[in-house]
Amino acid sequence: MNEELDSQLSAMFDDELASAECELLARRLSRDVELKARWERYAVIAAAIRAERGVRLNARVARRVSVIVGSEPALAGQSAPRRRERRWLRPAAGVAVAAGVAAVSILWLRAQAPPGTVVATPPLAAVSALRVTTPAVVPAASSRPSGSDSYVVPPAARGAAAIVPATELANYVVAHSMFSSPVARRNLLSSFMTSEPGEAGAIPLSTDSAQDLPRDAKSSAQ
Amino acid sequence: MGADASDLSLVRRVQRGDKGAFDALVLKYQHKLVKLVMRYVRNPAEAEDIAQEAFIKAYRALPQFRGDSAFYTWLYRIAINTAKNAVVSRDRSPIEYNIDRNSEESYEMQGRMKDSETPEALVLTDEIRSIVNAAIDALPEDLRTAIVLRELEGLSYEEIAAAMDCPVGTVRSRIFRAREAIDRRLREVFEGGLGRAEELG
Repeated sequence: MNEELDSQLSAMFDDELASAECELLARRLSRDVELKARWERYAVIAAAIRAERGVRLNARVARRVSVIVGSEPALAGQSAPRRRERRWLRPAAGVAVAAGVAAVSILWLRAQAPPGTVVATPPLAAVSALRVTTPAVVPAASSRPSGSDSYVVPPAARGAAAIVPATELANYVVAHSMFSSPVARRNLLSSFMTSEPGEAGAIPLSTDSAQDLPRDAKSSAQ
Repeated sequence: MGADASDLSLVRRVQRGDKGAFDALVLKYQHKLVKLVMRYVRNPAEAEDIAQEAFIKAYRALPQFRGDSAFYTWLYRIAINTAKNAVVSRDRSPIEYNIDRNSEESYEMQGRMKDSETPEALVLTDEIRSIVNAAIDALPEDLRTAIVLRELEGLSYEEIAAAMDCPVGTVRSRIFRAREAIDRRLREVFEGGLGRAEELG
């Protein structure tokens, strides 16, 4: 037998062989009867040196275990696939939960805000493209020259609300669509559309754009 | 070189359906496991039965082994639990013998009767031990020191290299050459008397 191979076997027995070499040698060890017999004698030498009293040095246990294991079904494919499945399920579940919490938070914030105020969603650090710099509650008529700050939009200013909050929020939700499920996103958008018909209708339309609309929409816009 | 890389490579093969790799693990650890179980039961034959049961349990549970701990640590726990359960169940249903338990002499005899050691098996074990010891005594000192530090003291190659003031590669070579020298002597016994003794045992 190859001396290098025997030297590797000796190192493997002592757990002092590199992992890659162990893989190759383990394959050969499980099939090569002569190599396995040598492996067995290495174990006997170790037991004899340790002078394990009462332990018989003939391999009766190994023979009997080998016979019983031989009649058992092989273990192939019982463990690895399950672990692989779990590997991608966990982050996916995390993203779904985060998206759900975000959607509920937005709806709750909108429900809590007093009528006539614009509720901006909390700025997310990761989404700098939107440049959300507005405070949590923004006065609708912030361009007033003087007077005390008010978070209630005066009736006169309501008609000229050029901020278009529902659109802005809708844009925000669309921009973050990658973090939410399609169903949650659709629910959110439809709730914007149904909850604020006045504000959605307050979007100023130019005459040019009004001409492009169908007739029934044009009459309602005017 | 990863700790437990050798066992892990064999374990992975068993998990992929290679039963021959499990034989190698059993051959490597059978003596250690029997020795461990003998802390709980004094009878060598009973200890072998419990070790055998522990190996079978380990084989069946191997799909759940993920390699978080060393294979032997995991096997050790299975063997300890199997031994404890065996002791409990034995105590609950003691085997009755037609021997007078009041007599100390009879009780000692009962222990011997439970031990299925045949005289041939005992002689063979003693023979193996004396051959190994004689072979070790005949080794050059550097080989003898290396193999004894490894097997008796359980030192790693790196620790032996530090102790013997030589490179790790030299330690590997010395241990291998020591094993080969002992193995040459041992092979004669294995190829001659072992098979016959097993039939008797």
